[in-house]
Amino acid sequence: MPGRGRCPDCGSTELVEDSHYSQSQLVCSDCGCVVTEGLLTTTFSDEGNLREVTYSRSTGENEQVSRSQQRGLRRVRDLCRVLQLPPTFEDTAVAYYQQAYRHSGIRAARLQKKEVLVGCCVLITCRQHNWPLTMGAICTLLYADLDVFSSIYLQIVKLLGLDVPSLCLAELVKTYCSSFKLFQASPSVPAKYVEDKEKMLSRTLQLVELANETWLVTGRHPLPVITAATFLAWQSLQPADRLSCSLARFCKLANVDLPYPASSRLQELLAVLLRMAEQLAWLRVLRLDRRSVVKHIGDLLQHRHSLVRLAFRDGTAEVETRGKEPPRICPAPPVSTVTGDENISDSEIEQYLRTPQEVRDFQRAQAARQAAMSVPNPP
Amino acid sequence: MASAPRPERVPRLLAGCLPPPPPPPTVGLLSMEQEETYLELYLDQCAAQDDLAPPRSPLFNPVVPYGMYILNASNPDTAFNSNPEVKETSGDFSSVDLSFLPDEVTQENKDQPVISSRHETEENSESQSPQSRLPLPSEQDIGLGLNSSSLSNSHSQLHPGDTDSVQPSPEKPNSDSLSLASITPMTPMTPVSECCGIVPQLQNIVSTVNLACKLDLKKIALHAKNAEYNPKRFAAVIMRIREPRTTALIFSSGKMVCTGAKSEEQSRLAARKYARVVQKLGFPARFLDFKIQNMVGSCDVRFPIRLEGLVLTHQQFSSYEPELFPGLIYRMVKPRIVLLIFVSGKVVLTGAKERSEIYEAFENIYPILKGFKKA
Repeated sequence: MPGRGRCPDCGSTELVEDSHYSQSQLVCSDCGCVVTEGLLTTTFSDEGNLREVTYSRSTGENEQVSRSQQRGLRRVRDLCRVLQLPPTFEDTAVAYYQQAYRHSGIRAARLQKKEVLVGCCVLITCRQHNWPLTMGAICTLLYADLDVFSSIYLQIVKLLGLDVPSLCLAELVKTYCSSFKLFQASPSVPAKYVEDKEKMLSRTLQLVELANETWLVTGRHPLPVITAATFLAWQSLQPADRLSCSLARFCKLANVDLPYPASSRLQELLAVLLRMAEQLAWLRVLRLDRRSVVKHIGDLLQHRHSLVRLAFRDGTAEVETRGKEPPRICPAPPVSTVTGDENISDSEIEQYLRTPQEVRDFQRAQAARQAAMSVPNPP
Repeated sequence: MASAPRPERVPRLLAGCLPPPPPPPTVGLLSMEQEETYLELYLDQCAAQDDLAPPRSPLFNPVVPYGMYILNASNPDTAFNSNPEVKETSGDFSSVDLSFLPDEVTQENKDQPVISSRHETEENSESQSPQSRLPLPSEQDIGLGLNSSSLSNSHSQLHPGDTDSVQPSPEKPNSDSLSLASITPMTPMTPVSECCGIVPQLQNIVSTVNLACKLDLKKIALHAKNAEYNPKRFAAVIMRIREPRTTALIFSSGKMVCTGAKSEEQSRLAARKYARVVQKLGFPARFLDFKIQNMVGSCDVRFPIRLEGLVLTHQQFSSYEPELFPGLIYRMVKPRIVLLIFVSGKVVLTGAKERSEIYEAFENIYPILKGFKKA
């Protein structure tokens, strides 16, 4: 048929549209060469019009795993191995990454974002298995900014519609406490500072629970609370020798970074303990302060449930200094009588405008400034 | 003062509202009559509790504690289902994690009637009363959920509010209208007085207006004292006026954004003043399509809020990441408002186009927050 092009083999224009097993083909009626196989293309009909189709508009993207996706998947596996996660986590994280990659917004994102996405997938997997991985840890591993991480994390959770449980505090305590290098004597850790791991873990757990009950944990980053609790637990197990050691020194010899809010958490925790101590008669007479209460932490923890109830009976925690005032009706706001349609006086507007003299002065000053800036090294 | 509803009303209602439970795997099928007798047993105990504690069983309290949301949200079947399963397995609690229950019965906890009655039935050993457990499975769900993040295996640990519990404060509203219909709906039928007079204050209004003429920003910046213009940083003039104290972004296309006003009328007045300034500078400015784009309000519920509990029960609306932000971000669907809820009890509401949306959103969230008041 005319207008359909020529056969590449014999050059004839006698091309016939035929079908081979229901697949339409364009065949040269002279030599039998198959010119095109009907509509079998991987791209849109544009190709029939001999226009080049960009890769992003073709279906190739959905069929192949692109190199950048392969790289991302490899990064996910590497990260899981570095963190020594169980093998099932790897598959889940990879699945999340692939799922995210199906969205065009992710496919077209910058490399930095894709890198952070790797961390997000691993984090979500760990959270869903109650594996205590903090965002700070992932950011350190990926050399990423926490703000960047947070925006991508929130975006991906929303995009994939995932239900991510919160960080498991108990597991975090166990992992974090175990990382303190205090369980064996070493050149930097004298014998009197060495502590039994189990005892310290259980006491830290109890202290963190106490902090949770008394509103020290809600709304705050969990790690500094655990640092403070570990310190107090360690001190209280041998107060005579350890009271002299400060929080900073403790973290240093345990080879753990001291998070900045940990000292205020420590003070808050001590305040709670002091309040609890007030409820015990034999401690009340001792008139404890923030240092001496450490010696009695064991006793206080033993009776913590009733003590907390007694100490915070009025319903407000120590840190919430709301007192016992009955909830009063909020005072009505000053009623503004603005209607929005008032007259606007000219004088009021004129106060915002420059007089012609001021305009000239301003222009002169600007010109002078420009001149001064254009001369790089004024004399 | 609320009195327990007449027992004969309830079984009918329950029978009507809730389909008969499927047979639990470990026990035989309970007939409806058996359930009614258990219900009466429970209610008798409740009546006995009347002088001990506020006679408001969570079952009939329209100000539903958070536990009830679990109950309502999930299939009532499961609530029924778990009761006999728990109680009838003759003391075998191995499958059930009870570590959330307090080791000491508290006087202050408003859930006490249920808990103490449950204790009593345990002590009376085998005067089984599945209905008495009806609110508890919901708490159990929470307890179980929370238990996964609970910190020690000590028995008495995890009733989050146990330790801070008080007598229900006098502000406890006149929710004694025991509307039994409140058992079923997700949002409780709360009268306006529910919010006990807390009204969110508007803090910021963002509005836009079209001045309908092309503007020369350089000229505006030159002739106006209160304008700043740095084209390298931002392609608009930033103008401020003192009364009402607002800031405007004026673009060369003639569109203007006005922010900082505390009420809709103030925003409109401010926008008109900016338009007047631009007019005085020699441009044929008009005042078209004034529209409020966003309103931000804030208020204080005056009690601390357990954000971890709230994110568990309202997980599909809430996002709480303490590592990132101290507040909980609650995206309400109707009205479409985003609320930032903080542990101190301060609430910020944003995303409204109308004042009523803010008030409505707060009225919706207040009973939910009350449920997490651990006081």
